[in-house]
Amino acid sequence: MRSTWGLAAPLVAPLGLAYAAFFVAPLLMLFAVSFYADDRMTVLGLGQWQRFLGDAFHWKVIGNTVLLGLKTVAATLLLGLPLALAYRAASPGWQRVLLFVVVMPLLTSVVVRTFAWIVILGREGVVNQMVMGLGLAADPLRLLQTELGLVISLTQIEMPLLLLPLLSVMARIDPNLMDASASLGASPWRTLFRVILPLAAPGIAAGCLLVFASSTTAFISQSVIGGERLVYLPAMVWQQAMVVANWPFAATAAIALLVSVSAVIAVIATAGRIAGGRIHG
Amino acid sequence: MSITLTRRAALLAGLAAPAFAPSLARAQRAGSVTTAIYPGAWEEAFRELVAPPLKRQHNIELEMQGLFAVDQIAKFAASRGAPPFDCFVLDPGPRITAIDRGMFEKFEVSKLTSRAALPGMLVDDWGVGCNAQVVGVAYNPKKLPKPTGYADLLKDPWVSRLGLTGFGTTFGTVSLIELAKVFGGSETNIEPALAELKKVLPKIAAVSSPAALPGLFQQGQCDVIYTNTQTVTTLKDRGVDIEFAVPSTGATAFFTTLHIAKGCENIENAYKYIDIVVGRAVQDALQKAPYNFVPVNTGVPLGAGLPMKSLAEMSSFNTHDWSKINPLRGGWIERFNREMAK
Repeated sequence: MRSTWGLAAPLVAPLGLAYAAFFVAPLLMLFAVSFYADDRMTVLGLGQWQRFLGDAFHWKVIGNTVLLGLKTVAATLLLGLPLALAYRAASPGWQRVLLFVVVMPLLTSVVVRTFAWIVILGREGVVNQMVMGLGLAADPLRLLQTELGLVISLTQIEMPLLLLPLLSVMARIDPNLMDASASLGASPWRTLFRVILPLAAPGIAAGCLLVFASSTTAFISQSVIGGERLVYLPAMVWQQAMVVANWPFAATAAIALLVSVSAVIAVIATAGRIAGGRIHG
Repeated sequence: MSITLTRRAALLAGLAAPAFAPSLARAQRAGSVTTAIYPGAWEEAFRELVAPPLKRQHNIELEMQGLFAVDQIAKFAASRGAPPFDCFVLDPGPRITAIDRGMFEKFEVSKLTSRAALPGMLVDDWGVGCNAQVVGVAYNPKKLPKPTGYADLLKDPWVSRLGLTGFGTTFGTVSLIELAKVFGGSETNIEPALAELKKVLPKIAAVSSPAALPGLFQQGQCDVIYTNTQTVTTLKDRGVDIEFAVPSTGATAFFTTLHIAKGCENIENAYKYIDIVVGRAVQDALQKAPYNFVPVNTGVPLGAGLPMKSLAEMSSFNTHDWSKINPLRGGWIERFNREMAK
């Protein structure tokens, strides 16, 4: 009898080969390119790494990029979690409506959604018109080209990535557990923190992971909404690769982005496993 | 004898096909020319306005590869003697890089039928200009008085409405050089510009990526920018209140140029393609909305929004030596990042 692997190998092979050819190989090339010391890629050396890691400005850019991701995750979680709880408590008909509302932004291109935020957050945009119309401020608020404006727009843009895994996990929570919790004397808050959230932990972790990865690498939103006063790693990679044509330095910055994002993702995934394990384990 | 093509063989054949594709593509090139082209507006314009007359007049198919300048140079360098396209389209900086690296065939302007209509400053041993860019200051006349020059941009009332962009584009680079010159800098010394910008940085309305700048102007986020006439005309066509102002130190000009790739096998077709692009009919069409190119053919009357009456006047505009700028530009980009970063 053929082993399971023997049966699965031909099925896995096409995707495996595609990954090897179009993901693993380019990634290895990226690592290799970062070890060229000159922009014409003729001399091997650690010059790019020394230049990148030895400069405090680059560390600040890494920090800002990671911080942007964490702030976006916090904001999406703060707004998304109540919606997910409302979804869990809603009737099947309302659940379908909510799901449609959550998915709807994905039907529009991220470029369109990003440019829409210029119209909303701009000096003469919807928010400023409302604030000034209500007499809350004499001068327009500066929202575009600020980190606050960028986090606001990314929160909306990335929200579906948090909600889709979260809603799917929420929908699978057995309602009897909530009744059991209540009948054993737990308050609604205690039920939320001791039953619902631990059961939803895998969905929360998956959503946070997607939002973090997507917002730290959101080149278009960072460039358009954030502007050039806010420097993040994706823009730096673009500049070095496409304007300066220094591919080894661009590769070094790209690997720094990959490593820093992966490190935080590993922490989020571990936290999700631990939180989920407390109830599942 | 019959040939039985099993599914596995078909799959293998399918997987192997890409390996043979380049040779197949080259075999089909007899009646065609392949050009690199900037993605977006350039690609659309050439598909609409260049490909049809090339086919009609010479029975040559125009094949286009959408590539930014850096990609064109990288792709050519990786091709090792078998050029992936017949023609380059480049801005001045990458053009110098490509010349230094021996990527062009020598260009013989005598092969162009429209050579007499091309100003001498547009043609050299390596290629020919196909689009001029005239750079200066653009402002919203309903909100701001007309600035007299780059120095005004850093004063009230302009500075608090200023949108600026860094060294990422050719127009951004030449504008910042001109700003530096006003404060004692030069083509190779942009420090005075950065020092002056740093002083007024908190007041500046927007420090933007070049692609987002027109959108920010349109939305009123900023009301004065440095840019080219093409952007001004395009925004004006959309009903935006915008006017072009020639700085007191003069407008700046540079050209986008066409070149024949070293080792090109379709040289005759390449010349015919270039001839069509710089010819009167195509240049006239490219000047019209929505593309708003600045024509390079003296037979085409210049549009009303341009700060010169003839192409000859452009010889008095500010120009820059990109062989000096290229080695410094990477450092300038980093300096701009650091100085502008919060």
